[in-house]
Amino acid sequence: MAGNVEVAHRVQPTSSRLTLPKLGEGFAQVVPALILILLLFNVPLVIMLGWSFYPLETPLANYEQIFTRSIYLKVIGNTFYIAALTTVACCLLGYPLCYWMWRLSPRWRLIIASIVVLTFWVSILVRTYAWIVILGNDGIVNRLLLTWGLIDSSVSFLYNQTGVIIGTTNVLLPFLVLPLFAAMMRLDRRILLAAETLGAPKGVIFWKIFFPLTLPSLAAGAILIFILTLGFFITPAILGGGRVPMIANMMDLLINRLPRWELAAAISGVLLVFTMIFFAGYQWLNNRQQAS
Amino acid sequence: MTRALLGAAGLAGSLMLGTTLAFAQVSEIRMIEAGGPSGESIEVGYIKPFTEKTGIRVVRENPAGLGKVRAMVESRNVTAPITELSSSELEQAKALDLLDPLDWDAIDPAPIYEEAIDEYGLGWQYYSTIMAWREGEKPLTSWADMWDVDNFPGARSFPDYPNYILPMALLADGVPVEELYPLDMDRAFAKLEEIKDHVAVWWEAGAQPPQLLQDNEVQYVAAWSGRVTDVEGVEYTFEQGQLDLTYFAIPKGASEEAKEAVYQLMHVMTIAENQAAAADIVSYTGPSQDLDPLLPQDRITKYPTVQQNRDVQFFIDAQWWFDNAEEVELRWQEFKLGL
Repeated sequence: MAGNVEVAHRVQPTSSRLTLPKLGEGFAQVVPALILILLLFNVPLVIMLGWSFYPLETPLANYEQIFTRSIYLKVIGNTFYIAALTTVACCLLGYPLCYWMWRLSPRWRLIIASIVVLTFWVSILVRTYAWIVILGNDGIVNRLLLTWGLIDSSVSFLYNQTGVIIGTTNVLLPFLVLPLFAAMMRLDRRILLAAETLGAPKGVIFWKIFFPLTLPSLAAGAILIFILTLGFFITPAILGGGRVPMIANMMDLLINRLPRWELAAAISGVLLVFTMIFFAGYQWLNNRQQAS
Repeated sequence: MTRALLGAAGLAGSLMLGTTLAFAQVSEIRMIEAGGPSGESIEVGYIKPFTEKTGIRVVRENPAGLGKVRAMVESRNVTAPITELSSSELEQAKALDLLDPLDWDAIDPAPIYEEAIDEYGLGWQYYSTIMAWREGEKPLTSWADMWDVDNFPGARSFPDYPNYILPMALLADGVPVEELYPLDMDRAFAKLEEIKDHVAVWWEAGAQPPQLLQDNEVQYVAAWSGRVTDVEGVEYTFEQGQLDLTYFAIPKGASEEAKEAVYQLMHVMTIAENQAAAADIVSYTGPSQDLDPLLPQDRITKYPTVQQNRDVQFFIDAQWWFDNAEEVELRWQEFKLGL
């Protein structure tokens, strides 16, 4: 429990209740980091966005091309679609997993949490290729299904949208599970005990109390997953079989193969706007959750 | 007498100064190349004899691409004075003013084919895009067969590069080789529409198609010759293959000292014996006119440029691909979105 109190303390300062006078106190200490981030991150970002207005005679030509040739918006739309499906998959897998972990004894909780964290230690590239061995036409799963007579011919798990979503979900699941699990652990168990004392059945306790209280965390995690999926490159490149176009792969083409950096910069600008809208949503949910 | 002595001493001195300067100038150059077995063949065939001769080390970076060249030129910091470009990339790089012209007098090439000598590039390696299949499948003899999924059943894998598959679609549709260019894009894409449901993977890395065949993920592929001719359990044909030449070029703004070293390296690359050593590593061939007799005779059918293979293939029209690069890429992406 002491650990949870600590976590609660640490997340406190980011909450919206932080008022202006407090900001002044630590500001001097933050300045070096601020300058570093401005110089190394924000300035290059602005320069990159500046590129999108080249050539200067026709500053909006690149943006015009994005909105007139339907291909770019279609790829952006497809990326959002994949991101949405990945988010749903992560929520459907992640929430029950967290709930199950929450109910375990502290020792088992630690073991399962370690297994979840363990996946961070294996390179994305290795994990992505591992799916080929497992899910390929001649892979373990298909061979088992064939021997058991459950299917007549191999199921195509890979080199399509399913393959990409399996890959992205595998990589991103911990990003949902860890914060969500932390939020569940912060939950005051006495509320649930009180409900039980008052005679509420298990289902009612879950749906009326537990789920609503953890929903903001789930929503915040979901937005995080959504934003992270937008930038995936390796997974669609390997598991998509060149059939699932996503923004990052289109960028690779525009930057390395064509090379049309100006257009790539303009697409980045459009993507940045979308991502910031989603991020604002994430922050809003996060603040609301901590305020409650 | 004294004057002559002085003169000789002066000459010797300046010579010595010259050599020490030359040695002091570059001790290492960086090269951007495509990587894979092709990169290893550069190491063994060209870099090794070059370093032995000049003492200059060569560090390889990969993969190559126009983006890297543009980044070096625009940042005015040419870190790699020698970079590999495909034939159509070479045309594009010229148009974007990203290259410095080569000094062919300084390179002083051994006898090589004319197409390998470009104002901005040294054509150094021939490769083909050919048909290959898993051992035991019915052998193909034409792209029409590749498109005939009823008589040649199985999943396909094609390149995710329009310049390696659009000409094949036209051949499959019955266009004679000599009438391929200018490419009829509408007709080529229409033909691709016919087969797209049977193409399981559109590959980007040359290493993918042989792996997909070995994993039994697909049964027929269009692949780069050097990646499939030496693979166990894979059969192939050069019939109707597309022959192409890849180039080495110098990004604009490379230092004069680095260029001197690059010219010496390029000279090494034109020598038949070195090309034979490289061809021993990967079944691609250099542009030397004297190369064929030096190739290992037991593997002779694996090389793209030996007469029997050259006769059944066609050459890519890099100029057409350059002229139409952007339109083709857009249509290609639109086609892929409809998969």
